Amino acid sequence: MVFLNVKKLNVEYYTKNNSVHAVQDISFQLDQRDTIGIVGESGSGKSTLAMAILQLIPKNTGKVTGKIEMKSKRLLDLTPSEIREVRWVDIAAVFQKSMNALSPVHRVGNQLSDIYRLHEKNIPHKMLKQRIFQLLDMVNLPSHVYKAYPHELSGGMMQRVSIALGLMHNPKLLILDEATTALDVVTQTQILKELMELEEKMGLTRIMITHDLSIVASSCKKVAVMYSGQIVESGFVKDVLYNPLHPYTKSLIKSVPSLKGENRKITAIKGSIPDLSKPIEGCVFAARCPYAKEVCFQSAPENSELENNRAVKCHFVKGGEFVWEEGKQTIV
Amino acid sequence: MANYIQKRIITGILIIVVSIVLNFTLIKLSPGDPIRVLSGQDSPSPQMQAELTAKYGLDQSVFMQFINYVGNLAKGDLGVSILSNQPVLKMIMERIGPTLLLALTTAIIALIIGTALGIYCARYRGSRFDNIVSGSSYIFDSMPNFWLGMMLIMIFSSSLGWLPTSGMVDLRTNYTGFNYYLDVFKHWLLPATTIVLVTVPYYFRIARSSIIQVMSEDFITTLRATGMSESRIFNKYVFKNAILPTITVFGINLAYIVTGVAIVEIVFSWPGMGSFMLDAIHRRDYPLLMGIYLLLSISVAIMMIIVDVIYAYLDPRILYKER
Amino acid sequence: MSQPITEQALPQTPKEKNVLQRIYTIINQNNQLKIGSILLLFLVLIGVFAPLLALYSPTALGDGLLVPPSAEHWLGTDKLGRDLYSMILYGTRTSLMVGFVSAIISGIIGTIIGAYAGFYGGKVERLLTEINNIFLMMPTFFLILLVAALFGNSLIIVMVIIGLTGWASNARLMRAQALSIRERTFIKSSIAIGEKKSFIIFKHIIPNGIFPIIASTTMNISGAILIESSLSFIGLGDPNIISWGQIVFDGRSYMTSGWWVSTFSGFMIVITVLSFYLIGDGLNKVINPKLK
Repeated sequence: MVFLNVKKLNVEYYTKNNSVHAVQDISFQLDQRDTIGIVGESGSGKSTLAMAILQLIPKNTGKVTGKIEMKSKRLLDLTPSEIREVRWVDIAAVFQKSMNALSPVHRVGNQLSDIYRLHEKNIPHKMLKQRIFQLLDMVNLPSHVYKAYPHELSGGMMQRVSIALGLMHNPKLLILDEATTALDVVTQTQILKELMELEEKMGLTRIMITHDLSIVASSCKKVAVMYSGQIVESGFVKDVLYNPLHPYTKSLIKSVPSLKGENRKITAIKGSIPDLSKPIEGCVFAARCPYAKEVCFQSAPENSELENNRAVKCHFVKGGEFVWEEGKQTIV
Repeated sequence: MANYIQKRIITGILIIVVSIVLNFTLIKLSPGDPIRVLSGQDSPSPQMQAELTAKYGLDQSVFMQFINYVGNLAKGDLGVSILSNQPVLKMIMERIGPTLLLALTTAIIALIIGTALGIYCARYRGSRFDNIVSGSSYIFDSMPNFWLGMMLIMIFSSSLGWLPTSGMVDLRTNYTGFNYYLDVFKHWLLPATTIVLVTVPYYFRIARSSIIQVMSEDFITTLRATGMSESRIFNKYVFKNAILPTITVFGINLAYIVTGVAIVEIVFSWPGMGSFMLDAIHRRDYPLLMGIYLLLSISVAIMMIIVDVIYAYLDPRILYKER
Repeated sequence: MSQPITEQALPQTPKEKNVLQRIYTIINQNNQLKIGSILLLFLVLIGVFAPLLALYSPTALGDGLLVPPSAEHWLGTDKLGRDLYSMILYGTRTSLMVGFVSAIISGIIGTIIGAYAGFYGGKVERLLTEINNIFLMMPTFFLILLVAALFGNSLIIVMVIIGLTGWASNARLMRAQALSIRERTFIKSSIAIGEKKSFIIFKHIIPNGIFPIIASTTMNISGAILIESSLSFIGLGDPNIISWGQIVFDGRSYMTSGWWVSTFSGFMIVITVLSFYLIGDGLNKVINPKLK
C-alpha cells in the first residue's frame, strides 16, 4: 500500500523581480517503512522539497502546487490548524545545523517538554519529565542534558537531542535534512546506526536529504537524484548507485573518492547549476553534460520508466541502457 | 561567574582610572598655568595662588601632584567650586534630584514605547504601520534634541499657551499637595516629550531588528515544524531571545542619562545638572566640570558592571563564551 | 555574524563597469541609500556653490533686525540683521566639514587599532580590546565638552577631539572582521610565504574587512554633526565660523519674536544628519541582506 504519494509537486519562490522555480514536477511514492535518500548538489531544490512536505514554505515568499498524499490525507489541502495537528505526530524532522535547532536561552528539558505537551496536552508533570528522560536515554544521552543549555552540549549530543525531539511522538514519517552533515565521520556512522535500529523498532518511514552518496548507500533502500529542481534518476539504491544510467548520476558517483578498490581518478563536475529563474528549453543538465548533443538543448527528455520502479530522465536511456552512439553501448 | 564579575570590575576600575588620569592631564595640558584653570580667574590673588599651590602640591613633581590629586579624590574631595566656594560633591548632590526625576521617567517611558513599537512592527513587517513608524524613527533620530525642544516650546507654549516654557515649578504660586504635583507634571511634560521622542527610535530599532533576526534563526523553523502556534513561538521563544539586547542597551543608557538629558534641561531651564553645567562652563568653573565628569565616569563604570552581571544571568551563553 | 563581510557579499557587478556605474548600481538597490544620496548630493552642491547661491554676505550686518521671511530675505534675518538664508548656505560647509573630518579621523584610528587587535591576537589583542572597551564606555560627550571648555572653542579642536573619542565602535567592528579574515586560506598562505605582518594587515585584512567600517563611519558623520551642533548650542562653538547649531542657539532668545531663526537652521541639521543615517543604514543592508 502506498504510504506517501508525492505527485507533480512544484515550488516557486517569489523575489522582488522574478520567481525561482525551485522544485519542478516532482513525483515519487513511498511504502510504509521505506527509506529514501534524496541526493543532489546544494541549490538542487532538495531542501525545498523537504520544506514543502513539512508545509513550512511561507505563503508570502513561495507557492506550492501539486499533490502530497499521506495515506488518505491530502496535505496541501489542510487548514492551518489541521496542519499543526499533523506536524510532529505524523511527520517529524531533524534539520541541518542541529546546534541551532533549539532556543539558546531556554534549557533543553524545558523545550522538549514544551514541545511534547503540544500534542499531549493533559500529561501530568511527573509523567512528562519521566517521558523526556526516557527519550534522552533512548538516544543514549545522559540525564543531565535535561538541565543543560544547548551551547553546553557538543555537536553530536545536540544531534541526538534533535533526533529525540523528532521521535518524540512516534511519527510515521521522519525527514532528515542534511542532519548528520556537520558531524565527524565516526559520530555520524554511530548516530546513523542507532537511528536505523530505532526506526526498525518504531516502524518509521524515512526521507533522507543529503549530498553525501555514502550515507545514502549505507542507510537507504531507495534513492532519488535531484538536479536543478528535478528528479533526474530514481530507483533502488542497488540499481541506481551500482549501475547509474543518467550522466549526472554517473558524474556524481565519480566525484566521490572511494577507499576500497582501484585508485581511480576523481573528477569534479564542470560548470555550475543553471539559473532557475529562467525557463530551460531542453534537458536541465545539458549545459554540463559531457554527452550532450543537439537534441538535449532543444527538448526536455521524457521520464522513461524502467523495471524495478526505476525512472531516468535522459534522451539516451532506452530500454534500461545508456545508448549514446547509434547501436553502441557506452560504458563510462 | 566569579571570574566573569571580576573581569567586569577590573574594566570598571580601569574606566575610572583612565578618567582620573585624563582629568589630571587635561589640567596639566590646558593652556596657561594650572592655577588659572583651578581658580577660573585670569589673575588670581596671591593668597589664592598660595592656597591652591599648597592644596594641590603644585610646587612638587608631577608624579607627587598626581598622588596628591588622587588622595584628595579618595577622601571624596572632588574640589571646590569657584562659583559658590562649596564642595563640588555637595553641589552635585543638591542638583541631581530633578535630573534623575526627568531622566528616569523618560528612560522608562521611551523603553516601553520603543520596545512595544519595535515588537509590533517586527511582527507585521512591511505593513503600512511599520513603514510609517520606521520612517519617522529615522527623522526623530536625526533631530538635535535641543531643536526639537525649542520647536515644542514654540508650538505648545508660545503659540498655544497650553504648557509652561521653563522651570520645574511655577515660582509665582505656592502650590501644595496635589496641585504641586500637577504643576510639576505640567512643567515636566514638554521636556519629557522631547527626550522620549528622540530616545524612542533607539529602542524601537533595537527591538525591531533583534526580533527580525531571531525570527530568522534555525530554531524557529524547528518550533514551527513541531506544530507550535505562531503566538506561542513568539511569546515564549522569540521574546526572550530578542529582549536581551534591549535590556543591555537600556542599562548602558541609564548610566548616561545625566548627560543625555543635560541639553534638554538647558532648553527648558529645568533646575538639574544641565543648567548647572552650563553655568559652570560659562563661568569657567573647571573644578566643578571635572567633578561632574569624574562622577559621571564612576557611575558609568558601576552601571556597566551591574548591566553585565544581569545580562550574564539572563543569557546563559555569555558565561560560556567567557570561559 | 561570525562570517566576515567582504566584497563577495556585495551584489556581483560586472568588472568592466567603471567605478561610478558600480556605485550607481549599489545605490539603486536600496531606497534608503537612494534617498540619502540624493539629500547628500543636494547638500554638497549647496556647500560648494554657497557663494553663488547666497543673496548677501553671511556676515554682512543689514538694517532690518529680526525681519520675518520675505521676498528680500527668504528666511528672514537674525538679531544683527544678517540674512539667514545666506548664513544657512554657508553653515552647510561647517557641518559637512566637521562630519567628514572627525568621522575620517575616528575611522582611521578605529580601523588600525581593530585590525591589529584582531590579527595579532594574544596579549596585543587583550590590551587593545581593553582600551577599546574603556573608550566604548567612557562618557565621551562630556569629555569633548570639557576639552572644548578648557582648550578654547576652535573648530579644529572640536573636530579632532570628536575624532579621537569616537573610534571605539569602528575598532570593535574591525577587530571582529580581522579575527575571521585571518582564518582564511589566502591570509594563511601569506603568512606561510613570510610576508610582513603589517604588510598583510594593510594589504589584505583592511581592504577585505573595510565595508562595515564604511557604513559605521557614515553613521559617525551624523553623530559628529550632532555633537558639533550641541556644542555650539551650549555656547562652545567656534565664534569665527557660521554654524547651524550656533544659529539655533542665537535664536533661543527670540523664540516668540523670531521663530524663523532657529527653525530653519535646525531643520538643516535634521536633513543633513538624516542623509548620513540613511546612507549608513542603507549600506549596512546592502552589505548584510539579512538585516532587511
